[in-house]
Amino acid sequence: MTRFMINKVAQLLLVLLAVTFLSFSALNLLGDPLFNVVGPLAELDCDAVEAGLIEDTTTTLNNQVGDCEIVAEARAVYRLDEPVMKRYVLWLGDLISGDLGTSFKNDLPVTEILKDKFPVSIMLMVMAEIVALGLAIPLGIYAAYRANHRADRILSVGSFGVLSIPNFALGVILLYLFALKWQIFPATHDDSSFFAEMKSLSLPAITLGAGLAATYQRLLRTDLLTTLQEDFVHMARAKGMTDSHIMWRHALRPSLFSIITVFGVNTGALIGGSLVVEQIFSIPGVGRELVQAVIRDDFPVVLGGVVVIASGFVVINFVVDLLYSWLDPRVRTT
Amino acid sequence: MTEIIETPQVPEVVPKKVLGVAFWVAIGWLFIVSLIALLAPVLPIDDPGEIGAGGPREGPSWANWFGTDALGRDVFSRTAWGARISLVVGLLAITLGIVVGGSLGMIAGFFRGWIDHVISFVFFTLLSFPALVLALLITATFDRSLRTVSLTLGVLAIAPVGRLARASTLVFAEREFVQAARVLGAKSRRIIVKELLPNVLIPMGALSLLGMGIAIVAEGGLAFLGLSVEGDAISWGKSIVDGSQSRDLQNNPNVAMFPIGVMFLTVLSLNFAGDRVREYFDVKESAF
Amino acid sequence: MADTQLSVTDLQVRFPTDRGVVEALNGVSFDLEKGQMLGIVGESGSGKSVTAKTLMNLLPRTAEIDGEVIFEGEDVRAVARERRKHFWGVKMTMVFQDPMTSLNPVKRCGEQIAETLRYHLGHGRKMALRGATDLLGQVGVPEPAKRVHQYPHELSGGLRQRVVIAMALACEPSLLIADEPTTAVDVTVQKHILDLLDRLRREREMSMILITHDLGVARGRCDDVAVMYAGRIVERSATETLFNESRHPYTDALLRSIPHIDQPSHTRLDPIPGRPPEMINPPVRCAYAPRCRHAREDCLTSIPTMGGVTGVHEFACHHPANTDRGDAALAANVAVGVTPAGLHLTAGAGSE
Repeated sequence: MTRFMINKVAQLLLVLLAVTFLSFSALNLLGDPLFNVVGPLAELDCDAVEAGLIEDTTTTLNNQVGDCEIVAEARAVYRLDEPVMKRYVLWLGDLISGDLGTSFKNDLPVTEILKDKFPVSIMLMVMAEIVALGLAIPLGIYAAYRANHRADRILSVGSFGVLSIPNFALGVILLYLFALKWQIFPATHDDSSFFAEMKSLSLPAITLGAGLAATYQRLLRTDLLTTLQEDFVHMARAKGMTDSHIMWRHALRPSLFSIITVFGVNTGALIGGSLVVEQIFSIPGVGRELVQAVIRDDFPVVLGGVVVIASGFVVINFVVDLLYSWLDPRVRTT
Repeated sequence: MTEIIETPQVPEVVPKKVLGVAFWVAIGWLFIVSLIALLAPVLPIDDPGEIGAGGPREGPSWANWFGTDALGRDVFSRTAWGARISLVVGLLAITLGIVVGGSLGMIAGFFRGWIDHVISFVFFTLLSFPALVLALLITATFDRSLRTVSLTLGVLAIAPVGRLARASTLVFAEREFVQAARVLGAKSRRIIVKELLPNVLIPMGALSLLGMGIAIVAEGGLAFLGLSVEGDAISWGKSIVDGSQSRDLQNNPNVAMFPIGVMFLTVLSLNFAGDRVREYFDVKESAF
Repeated sequence: MADTQLSVTDLQVRFPTDRGVVEALNGVSFDLEKGQMLGIVGESGSGKSVTAKTLMNLLPRTAEIDGEVIFEGEDVRAVARERRKHFWGVKMTMVFQDPMTSLNPVKRCGEQIAETLRYHLGHGRKMALRGATDLLGQVGVPEPAKRVHQYPHELSGGLRQRVVIAMALACEPSLLIADEPTTAVDVTVQKHILDLLDRLRREREMSMILITHDLGVARGRCDDVAVMYAGRIVERSATETLFNESRHPYTDALLRSIPHIDQPSHTRLDPIPGRPPEMINPPVRCAYAPRCRHAREDCLTSIPTMGGVTGVHEFACHHPANTDRGDAALAANVAVGVTPAGLHLTAGAGSE
């Protein structure tokens, strides 16, 4: 058991390292961070200025400072003269101590910028999961109970259809019908009170939850049908238990493994979906912040956001792995 | 005592597999959409960029089948032209995924050992990013040309396709016909190309249909993040974004809804066809 | 016959499938007296498990059932229609083949036994767990207090089957159906399990139906044996009668396929030729005829009905083995070298 845990944790750390390195090097090697900080000034040939070959320009508001001094300062602050590997190690050190650097654009610490954005994004995703499971579990059980009857066939066609609707399309349709046409829900985000916030997150949560619900429902139905073939279900029936008792008490738990397995993977789709849905419903979450940071080329914010999200995703998958062994006692002892 | 010499045998009835009518309907739809996309420049439709092809904000009519947008541009021709980019992006992305991911996956599955470890770890790391976040990371560092967008979505496809290719290769590499080829001293490359590739291609074919649908949807997602193809180029995603601004959506929903409908039917057809192909060739669902 | 506990009359079960209607049971009738043990013997697909599942109301909803099942004066099919609680599991219960799959893998053994007590008898959590520990002791599980807290995968196959038996016995049923209870456990454990079942039914004066494909298992334990073939009972009598005076050629063949301790080693066992019959649209003939060495023309045109001595030794055969009529049929077939059904026979080195 301890060996198992040590292995798992080592694997977790290795993947986190790879994820951070990939993100860091993508933005540092492929992009030009200096350009992102100082804009077109990055193309100024400061060596030539120093050598007196050309004149320093002073395009900034503060005419006292030469542009080359600005560039030099930026280089120092963002350690741009160091080799990439060293920069990565230093950056990783900062990351571990909770410092994601400062924004290129407004000098605010990245942690400050992101801190306020996370709660609403997480709330949205939790609500989406609640919607998904709340729909999928009863419908999955019902479909398995009425397997191959009309209701099951309708559900199966329906879930296939839902899976083919892109989440942004569903978002736009819901926005049009429920927010603009019938005006049941607000079209923009409202966080004046907890209740108002819940209400304005309802449509986005349904948008995100629908696809998940369809995935879960199909998996649960298949797994339940397999479980219902098991002898222990016959045994439970031979013990005289009613169908609903058997469904909920005997068959459901062993049938949840597939849902748990895809839960981790689907969180990735959920995060991606919430980036988009936050745009459609103007929710001030991490996704929106991240997109704006990309558009204004604010590289520390993009890097910080991506690293935090990806790490969170990795950790969720790690927890799902552990949860799996907790739910299935057979895995625990092996 | 007696012994049996012969016993009458009951012939086994094997039910014949069919793809079904619905499959051909799906294929038919995909064919029509592709045809319109291909012929958009020569079809007698309005120029998608032409402002005032009809009056602004008009509903569907005989002249403008899908109506017009706020600038009076014809939504039908914008959807037709959008199909060109959306389909090309989908096709390029899944091709890249299959070529790169498929090769890496087969190499990993065939040679095993350290090379498998390295490739599997790369796949695992790529899958450790939520797909759209990885796309955002890549588009953030490059430009937003058609090439970059296709490339980005292709990179997303590498790991899932690669994992499937690896898993199928692992299964087939243990089969007798591959073992026999090995015993006969066939070169690795020959075994991979002649023995394994045809078998791995079947599940990949089913996956490529599903994957193309995913790529088309992902392009739409990028469009909503403002990271899809730049400039005047039209894609389905960009058309939907255009029609989704609150005021436009409220006053003339046709601008968003028609491309949504076309995109939905296309993705549905791709998913359905992929699903049928997978069932037809009896590919295990768990491999996906 | 005042003590008849279970009476099955003309039971028929059909399953509609894509390929046609499977006729799983074609008129099965038998009686079981209180405290008796009935063995039902047959190959897989003969309908023995379907019979058990019909009694236990475990058939899928698509099954079409006809006939009458009376248990302790109650119409079992009416009980099923009324969805009555506390009938199955309390009065009538069943043990399945594979103890690994009969137990829910994610629940502790004690919990699974206790569940029955709580569900049917309304015991509290603690009391039910104590009851479960008691039951485990009764079925010979060592250290029951420890076992109740273990998961099924932590126990050996034999212990698991004992847990399943304890679970079945929790509510003191008056009829226990055991469907191949020893097929999935080690050979060394098989006898222990069978002896345990035998002991328990005597102690509790419980009736029992033992389903098996192995006539040897039935011998010495069952009071009566019914042999099933293609959804019918083809022969039924007291166990010893059946072993000594088998009448149906199928029973005969089954007996000859069991190894005997008094045979010299390397004696060749006779397998039964051919394969079990088609269950979809079976032709009107004796289902065993294609594999039967006694088969004559009449076997191919009519289905034999139950004959013999009613309630004592019944069998359904036109040319019963070990009778003059049967010997004549066999001799005629051997002389031609082929039965009318097309089964080729050659004279072997056997006794016949």
